[in-house]
Amino acid sequence: MAVPILKQGDFLIASIQAALSDHDLVQLRDELSERVGRWRCRGLVIDVTALDVLDSFATRTVRGIAQTAKLRGAETVIVGIQPDVAFTMVQLGLTFDDVETALDLEEGLALLRRIVRGSFRRAH
Amino acid sequence: MADPVQSDSVHALIKEMGLTEANIERRKRIVALEAPDLKRIATLGDLIAGNVDEFTATFFDHLAKLEEEPRALLGSRALADKARRLKRDHLLAMARGEYGSKYVEQRLELGLLYSKAGLDPRVFLGAFHQLLKNVGNRAMARSQPPPLESFEAFMSLKKVAFFDIGLIVDVLVFERERVIRQQQEAIRELSTPVLQIRERLLLLPIIGVIDTHRARLITENLLRCIRDNRAKVVVMDVTGVATIDSKVANHLLQTVAAARLMGAVVIVTGLSSDVAQSLVALGIELGKLNTVGDLQGGLEEAERLLGFRMAATDAPAMSAPKEN
Repeated sequence: MAVPILKQGDFLIASIQAALSDHDLVQLRDELSERVGRWRCRGLVIDVTALDVLDSFATRTVRGIAQTAKLRGAETVIVGIQPDVAFTMVQLGLTFDDVETALDLEEGLALLRRIVRGSFRRAH
Repeated sequence: MADPVQSDSVHALIKEMGLTEANIERRKRIVALEAPDLKRIATLGDLIAGNVDEFTATFFDHLAKLEEEPRALLGSRALADKARRLKRDHLLAMARGEYGSKYVEQRLELGLLYSKAGLDPRVFLGAFHQLLKNVGNRAMARSQPPPLESFEAFMSLKKVAFFDIGLIVDVLVFERERVIRQQQEAIRELSTPVLQIRERLLLLPIIGVIDTHRARLITENLLRCIRDNRAKVVVMDVTGVATIDSKVANHLLQTVAAARLMGAVVIVTGLSSDVAQSLVALGIELGKLNTVGDLQGGLEEAERLLGFRMAATDAPAMSAPKEN
């Protein structure tokens, strides 16, 4: 199924509503990368609240999206990873080391604003 | 025969110890108790039935001689009478040739009684051996059947005795460990609180030993609290963790990584000098951890991250103690 991509000011919001097949993920990656450039976005939020599993392919693809977006000038924040998902990911060694994460959409947007303003210093 | 409360706890114990039919059969195989043994044991039936009171007395007399140990068992009249009765039943059952679940139940009942009385397994072994010796002497002293047959019959009975000892010792050990299990459970439940000490700031004090199971509980609990309290910073205080080895360090790292996935920063505080040195000596990579020396420092750092600033008011409600 297609993932709705919303534009909110300088930011894009991709809200994943249901489990995605590998094909859907690849399509999402292509679409986001294209729109970041077209709309000259500064930030990208990927909301995974509805997902109850994030496997290694999904993790790799999402990281790929973040790196692609970065090259096109936009920062990426993943929001809404659920406790169970987080725990499972850590056990599998998938820790999203180079991607920003936030609790939910609100936090994600606030974090993006800080990053874009350049005033946020990572705590570690 | 057995009072209902006791038989309930016996049945519960049978379940907890996993004493299924298959397990009982296995125990019999361990002591090599086979069909020919049952026939030989039957030849001792009359002897045991005839002297059952004397044999029972042997057991308890020996206990009485070891004054310091079995006071709880012999001190209480009701307990002692019950133990005597059960022991007597046991001896009669030993010669009967039926060693199924009914027999095991009866053994457990007696085992529970010993355990309640705090009987030391070694003392039990000593007394039971005295009893067996007495049975053996009696068996060999008979004119009929010839000594060799008596001896074989006695050795078969001994297999049953070892089968019994296995059960009794298992009960004693299992009951003793029950206390340990309960305490561990209590420690686990008590010691993983997650406290909110400021808007979006959680405190996670960890006390005691971290094993895999507990680390999992801590992490799950913390992640749930991060979501429910919308926390952004977590201060994890490990002052109460005596030793941190590579396994524990790994657990901590996993917890930190999981919290980060949910958008929270974890600050670890309270790594003592010993712990820090041993971690470095072990070569454990903790570079990813955000550490501050003590809890106070950790809280201050957390407040800084959250944009709080603490300031003293001009008129404190309580005056600070004067420094002399």
